[in-house]
Amino acid sequence: MDVLPVPLPSAKMAAVEKRRLAVAQAANFTGSGRPGVSRAAATAESEEDFLRQVGVTEMLRAALLKVLEARPEEPIAFLAHYFENMGLRSPANGGAGEPPGQLLLQQQRLGRALWHLRLAHHSQRTAFNNNVGVAYECLSASGRKKKPGLDGRTYSELLKRICRDGEAPEEVVAPLLRKIQCRDHEAVPLAVFRAGMLTCFVLLEFVARAGALYRLLEDPGLAVADRHVGQAVLDTLEGALQASDDTAPARYLEASSRLGPDSLALAMDRALVARRPSAPMTREEFLEKAAALFIAKVKPVG
Amino acid sequence: MLSPERLALPDYEYLAQRHVLTYMEDAVCQLLENKEDISQYGIARFFTEYFNSVCQGTHILFREFSFIQATPHNRASFLRAFWRCFRTVGKNGDLLTMREYHCLLQLLCPDFPLELTQKAARIVLMDDAVDCLMSFSDFLFAFQIQFYYSEFLESVAAIYQDLLSGKNPNTVIVPTSSSGQHRPRPTLGEASMLEGVEASLFCQCLENLCDRHKYSCPPPALVKEVLSNVQRLTFYGFLVALSKHHGINQALGALPDKGDLMHDPALDEELERLTH
Repeated sequence: MDVLPVPLPSAKMAAVEKRRLAVAQAANFTGSGRPGVSRAAATAESEEDFLRQVGVTEMLRAALLKVLEARPEEPIAFLAHYFENMGLRSPANGGAGEPPGQLLLQQQRLGRALWHLRLAHHSQRTAFNNNVGVAYECLSASGRKKKPGLDGRTYSELLKRICRDGEAPEEVVAPLLRKIQCRDHEAVPLAVFRAGMLTCFVLLEFVARAGALYRLLEDPGLAVADRHVGQAVLDTLEGALQASDDTAPARYLEASSRLGPDSLALAMDRALVARRPSAPMTREEFLEKAAALFIAKVKPVG
Repeated sequence: MLSPERLALPDYEYLAQRHVLTYMEDAVCQLLENKEDISQYGIARFFTEYFNSVCQGTHILFREFSFIQATPHNRASFLRAFWRCFRTVGKNGDLLTMREYHCLLQLLCPDFPLELTQKAARIVLMDDAVDCLMSFSDFLFAFQIQFYYSEFLESVAAIYQDLLSGKNPNTVIVPTSSSGQHRPRPTLGEASMLEGVEASLFCQCLENLCDRHKYSCPPPALVKEVLSNVQRLTFYGFLVALSKHHGINQALGALPDKGDLMHDPALDEELERLTH
């Protein structure tokens, strides 16, 4: 189904081996080139068979496709993690000792699902959705004591894990979780799962950018920002987000113009000029309020 | 944050940038060489270890020369390994000959070519008596330039020869009916008395070289810097300047600054653990 744009390494390797062995053999059998070449060809072919039998060919094909889909910045490190994960997935080593307990299995499943979810950035929508699908399957797989399907409790745990790993403060993400969590024993369908994952990752990026924005506003000496300037920024942001209620392109233009230097800078300027002494705005407060603007637009799970 | 450029590249170019296929092919090769020791499920583990070792830069140890020089990352890893393994030579202040350094190199790479070590030695000794003793740091930084930028240096040498003999490599030869019309322009009278070539002309030729070729070149801005300080320079003078340039060393990213050469806390810690 998937056509690779490049010759698969193992096939190419076998070909290289064939050439190398043929040359070496030909060098030794000056008179009788025939037996040497056919023996070399046989060795190379048996190697290709070996690779196919143990599944290397298929393994590498899948790995290469994954690399091309995810386009990571460090493909070699990505491959290392990919094969490490694959090693974890193989059946427990020969059955020596007790099979891992339910809790460990659960942790492993969560870990694997997380790994899949992080393979592609949420803006790479097709790849991201594919990975969400795989993660969902991974979590829904039935175990010895587990019914198939994703339950609300695992879903909530995953959401919390993602937020924790994304270094978003708890107060910031708590309102989101309240909105999109499901009840512990509720079954979570794929559509809800996908929407939840997307929202989560987008929120994390939003919070990260808000943090960067705060760093621009903060007084380098005091590590806090002026309340009025901070508030002016948040108000402008709120206004811009409201403008994009509709998904028509015009709305995006309107929103971005409100955030442009003309609008935002003027708002900040006015706040600076009209500055009255007041308690400064901390980073946590800024992030909480910014996140709240985002979360306000999230539809709660029905 | 994502850099969008790599997302837009065609598949083959993206893979070629990081030599992904080179490493995958080599991984399969290594697997075939060790296939007796590996079980079915060990294959994923094998590949994990292989790619981890590539990331850490240990994959080049005891490998054949053709593999070591195959990618920029391999070359940088080899340089780094050589430094970490033999920096104690420098610590004691020992001076070694070219052949002795070559023996050290062969410990890490059995078929490392003598020719390359000789070329590195010529940089340190300014093409003079090649049997002289050299300090570890002098040799290491010259070796870095020679090994990492081998192809670049070959082209530079050709350009230098052309300039010496009065040919300007930038002239475009237009084929005419009588090809004997084109004769190298005679050099200025006093030029034949001066050593080396004119720096600015040399610089121009190198800029063209860096533009035209895809293999690794030192950052053009830094090369320009090196050449801007002098009026004239010799080939080996240029190479020495390259090897001593901190910016170029940092841009390469394999070795620490000269001052920190003996400083390797990670390795010291490991040695402590092993010997106590």
